[in-house]
Amino acid sequence: MKQLLEGSQAVAEAVRLCRPQVVAAYPITPQTHIIERLAQHVANGELDAEFINAESEFGAASIVLGAVAAGARAFTATASQGLLLMTEVLYNIAGLRLPVVMVCANRAIGAPINIFSDHQDSMAVRDAGWVQLYVGSNQEAVDTMIQAYRIAEVCELPVMVCMDGFLLTHTFEPVELPSQAEVDGYLPAFQFVRTLDPARPMTLGGASEADNYQPYRVAQHDAMENAQAVIEAFDADFETRFGRTGGGLVQGYRLDRATTVVLCMGTLMGAVAEAVDRQRDQGKAVGALRLRCFRPFPVQALLDHLKVAQRIIVLEKAISIGAGGIVAAELRAALQQAEMTIPVESVIGGLGGRDLTPAVIEAIFQQAADEKIDTQNRFAPDHSVNGEVQHG
Amino acid sequence: MTMETKTEADLHDIRLHGRGGQGTVSAAALLALAAFEDGFESQAFPKFGSERRGAPVEAYVRISSSTIRAHNQLYTPDAVVIQDAGLLRSEPLLRGLKRGGLIVLNGEQPAASEGDGFRWLCLPASEIGERHLGRPLPNTVLLGALAAATQWVSLAALEKAVTNHLSRKGEEVVKANIEALREGYESPSIPTSPPISAPPQPRFFKGAAGAVSKEEQAR
Repeated sequence: MKQLLEGSQAVAEAVRLCRPQVVAAYPITPQTHIIERLAQHVANGELDAEFINAESEFGAASIVLGAVAAGARAFTATASQGLLLMTEVLYNIAGLRLPVVMVCANRAIGAPINIFSDHQDSMAVRDAGWVQLYVGSNQEAVDTMIQAYRIAEVCELPVMVCMDGFLLTHTFEPVELPSQAEVDGYLPAFQFVRTLDPARPMTLGGASEADNYQPYRVAQHDAMENAQAVIEAFDADFETRFGRTGGGLVQGYRLDRATTVVLCMGTLMGAVAEAVDRQRDQGKAVGALRLRCFRPFPVQALLDHLKVAQRIIVLEKAISIGAGGIVAAELRAALQQAEMTIPVESVIGGLGGRDLTPAVIEAIFQQAADEKIDTQNRFAPDHSVNGEVQHG
Repeated sequence: MTMETKTEADLHDIRLHGRGGQGTVSAAALLALAAFEDGFESQAFPKFGSERRGAPVEAYVRISSSTIRAHNQLYTPDAVVIQDAGLLRSEPLLRGLKRGGLIVLNGEQPAASEGDGFRWLCLPASEIGERHLGRPLPNTVLLGALAAATQWVSLAALEKAVTNHLSRKGEEVVKANIEALREGYESPSIPTSPPISAPPQPRFFKGAAGAVSKEEQAR
């Protein structure tokens, strides 16, 4: 039965159903409600876990690193500056191939200080070696959380579930929560083969010289590549059991004979889908594609869905300052590699919570049709209160 | 992978204004919970800011008979609920309100609002709230009035939402809020003319409570 749940509460219930043994965190908006709810569950005896209030995000990440190395299933959550403070540990978790799962409640990065949602935080750690899955609704946050532990533990890769701060974490939406028995049937108990154990002493995180450091990175990269098939397979199994997909690697919307396609991530797909409907009503052949799995970057899935397009607009809520759109650059490289010559327009918007409405997205479609998106005009237009789109 | 196509023609958008501490965000959650209880899809979210006691707060609700996929903000509400009339002096509370839209105001109708094309529903919600709750909290009173004037949600569903959402605050708080809600619903200032618009058809029913609430709506 569906319930109307705040996103933070919904994802916390999903975490509880995954039976983590250690939860460590440091509060930061807009992530805090998730951890508060889990703390309540532990205090009420509804979750048999060690709850550790860390002294910082660096501490929280270090605690879950140690917990998973000791064989426990662990969880943490953060956002924005908190994620950046974790960065050094995030690389270590990935390098040690520890299947940590965390939520990043996507939020802008200072300066200037801003608590609202964009993707700059998780994009800043895109090279750390974590699987990154971007969810589009609270239901997907729940479903992806459950899938994340299975993906992490089978691939021995950490997984970051990226959910838009406020737009999901503070929004009440109908959500179907699976039963404990259903989740137990889908997600086996965690049995880590490389558990630190005094009975079988070994070194974790030792030094590596020039002759053997690189093979670790190669192995990580290979594991990430192989994770694509695992993510798809576990989502398919999830769909069989629960009747819902988490979104696979990518999720298309009205791609049938679409000549112009918008590629986006996260909740932005809602407004993009509405804009696509309005454009279709005007007889325009447009569609949309949501990139759910950003790491590993699913080149083949993207090409399969985009091969008939004549123009691709990548609309993203993050920027590599001095270079531009991140997803756009990666997509261009993938198309070039495949010898496909589809023009890719890069549009950056929604930074610091600036709202991307269907009207704004329609204006972007129009700009693309008029061939007005260029290096001078690669930021999304602003919206105004009366619904009229303001450019600039 | 595909996503279902839909229209949003039957969507009701509501914006709630108040001050930090008046339960504005809770009121939005209660309204969405009630709509969901009645068998609609619903969504509630606060204005994304750093709330503090006394500062202006906004929260939003969407009610629809089909899946709500929008996660962007809401600009053209069908109704506005104002928990503190003093905010009218400093905040653009009626911005984007659709022509003929409903304003549920805690206080007296401003003289300058005559003939502005909106429907004003004004009641002393803080006084009513204080009588029931011992504190001048207007939120459940105004929700009752909104429900009576629009029939977008049923009284039974609102009562259930209050019961479930406030249960952790104890039986007394729940009982007092339900009394406040009922008095708001039965407020004499509610226009006797037909509701603002027909309620959307529920997409799914959730058993007995949904059935009762449909009768409430037909009443």
